[in-house]
Amino acid sequence: MSRSLNMPGSRPPRTIWEAISPFRLIGELSETRYWMYLLLLPSALLITAVVLYPTVYGMQMSFREMRLNRPDLGNDWVLFKHYVRMINDPIFWVSLRNTAVWVTSSIVLEFLIGLIAALALNRDLPGTKLLAVLILLPYFLPNVVAGHMWALMLDPRMGVINDLLLKVGLLTEYKAWFADPTTAMAAAIIVEAWHSFPFFTLLIMAGLKGIPTDLYKAANIDGAGAFAQLRLITLPMLKTIIAAAVILRVIGLVNSPDLLLILTSGGPGRSTQVLSLYAFQMAYKDFNFGYAGALSVVMFVFLMLFAWAYVRLSKVNQE
Amino acid sequence: MTNISRRSLMKMGGALMAATALTPSLSFAQAASINYWHTFTSQSEQAGLDQVMALFKAAHPDIAVTPENIPNPEFMAKITAAVVSGSRPNVSMVSSERFRDLLAMGALTDISERVAGWERRADFDDARFASISLDGKIYGVPAFTFVDWMYYRKDWFEEAGIAVPTTLAELYDAAVKLTDPAKGRYGFGLRGGPGGQNPIINMMEAFGSPVLHADGTIGLDREKAIAGITYWSDMAKNAAPPSAANDGFRQIIEGFQTGQTAMIYHHTGSYQDIASKLKPGVEFGTMAIPAGPATRVARLAYAYNTITSDENADASWEWIKFWGEPDAAIAFLEKTGYFPASTTAAADPRITGNEMYKAAAETLGFGIPQPSFPGAAGWAESTVLQAFQRILIGEITPEQAVDEMIAGLAEATA
Repeated sequence: MSRSLNMPGSRPPRTIWEAISPFRLIGELSETRYWMYLLLLPSALLITAVVLYPTVYGMQMSFREMRLNRPDLGNDWVLFKHYVRMINDPIFWVSLRNTAVWVTSSIVLEFLIGLIAALALNRDLPGTKLLAVLILLPYFLPNVVAGHMWALMLDPRMGVINDLLLKVGLLTEYKAWFADPTTAMAAAIIVEAWHSFPFFTLLIMAGLKGIPTDLYKAANIDGAGAFAQLRLITLPMLKTIIAAAVILRVIGLVNSPDLLLILTSGGPGRSTQVLSLYAFQMAYKDFNFGYAGALSVVMFVFLMLFAWAYVRLSKVNQE
Repeated sequence: MTNISRRSLMKMGGALMAATALTPSLSFAQAASINYWHTFTSQSEQAGLDQVMALFKAAHPDIAVTPENIPNPEFMAKITAAVVSGSRPNVSMVSSERFRDLLAMGALTDISERVAGWERRADFDDARFASISLDGKIYGVPAFTFVDWMYYRKDWFEEAGIAVPTTLAELYDAAVKLTDPAKGRYGFGLRGGPGGQNPIINMMEAFGSPVLHADGTIGLDREKAIAGITYWSDMAKNAAPPSAANDGFRQIIEGFQTGQTAMIYHHTGSYQDIASKLKPGVEFGTMAIPAGPATRVARLAYAYNTITSDENADASWEWIKFWGEPDAAIAFLEKTGYFPASTTAAADPRITGNEMYKAAAETLGFGIPQPSFPGAAGWAESTVLQAFQRILIGEITPEQAVDEMIAGLAEATA
């Protein structure tokens, strides 16, 4: 270090005070190759404190006995005990299957509605600006509010949706959507799609603005129809944005149990139980933070694998 | 003209500085501020809390109470996070089934000495403190009582010529008789969704299968528990609305208020909500929980106020003991229907003279506390309720459900 500080050509200090002056030391350090690491240090410390420490702490929790309501059990290391339990836990497997259904169906629905809305709003017709604000409104609602609102709208006694469906003849009697395992998940997915499709709309609209209009003009001359233009120009040009949006939404959906917590609490039975909700219940109802930590680590690994596989398969990073 | 020496001037300056330094600290010492975490949700409960706070403010103008509503389903998550992160509230409302979990995580303060020296201690019999005490230490003061009882449509019963049920068998018969899906009428508003776990446990016990024996060992008797669960699931299938598997507090109350159901199982705390829509004594009545084949199970659970932070503990103590004052307890009852925990307040003519409270007063004589052990709330909610819902949707039989409950209980208490 001291060798590198004595830069060739730099003037040697004349006095002891000059030799230990912080300004002079910093000045000389800024000329060395260590300077960039020093500049990165605050960010690295911040990331360690905010991101790395909680993540590692959560992971180590999954290898410990941690039941807050059972201090008599201690908090010793139990190695893979929670992971072994998970393999033999039928609720884990049901939750895993439900998570796949919940995430895949919601993403497909949100993407399709978001794409249609974005394409419609991109046409610059009169009133589209107002429409854009209206379409984005659901996304501004907190999950808790959206959940309670839809729980009331789908209520089997006084819900407006039942009333409408009854009036148009699609139902013969009021339906308890969240009490029937065949409709509970589907109803929750519709609520989720309604709430989050504007996220796709917003990002796709931003992407659409960046596509050169010349491409569409050329395609028109070549006789390409609207669907061909969508398939051959719009979607390929939006690939990066779609990939980012899908990854972000998948992470959000896998990690957030709040909407299902409000609408069904995972029921009836286990029909809408997903991994995040199960982990939440394990932590805050059973106070078994060790097992909840293990469930969270599994979700973390799944998400990492998904993001890696998705980026590779969609070949986004090759362009 | 009087001359002031330099020394006198310095003395005066010193005295002035001391006075200004002391004045704010004196005023701070007099005006303590505490926050109060509670789970009140309905309008009537909020009105009751406002009433108690107004009375408290008049009695203790030097203590400012800031209430913070924590929705019941989120309470344990919030309090756990607050305890772990060191940001505890001064005072928290704790229901008896949560006591052991909160005590185990170190959330509660031992207030045995304060309770022993309390001028109103004699107003509460020892049983009131049983669900908030362990190893001779007391951790809270009972604020009010959840007295289990039932509401029934008096007009429908009279119209059908059905007597008020006194046994669970009569209850089932009445519920089935009053059910007519073609008219959108159901005999029983069964809570199979959030919060529906306690009646399920009560049914098992009413058929002779308590959760734990007195010595703390598992008390679930498979055959008797199956009988209890079969009874309750038959009630759901034959006399409850199709939404029963997802119906929580709001749904059963609305179902009763809007004329969908003839009976509901709840506690006295919903009385004012019901009375706001239906005429007491004419359209609806109240009855004690009917007796089961083995025993009569109606819970007397207490909501306790506990000190959860050492900061401003004296002010916190003033607040939690104020709920034991008869005027505060009666004011809260009149706004909500929650029974006073104080035996003195419960004997007040404003209660004993009200015919609608007769069933609750009767229940005070035979009601029993909730089963309480570390993990009780989690087991009841995650295992018992989920298994029961799976019966309702045809996934498993009552036998399989009881096996799941016994296995879950063994794991929770291991």
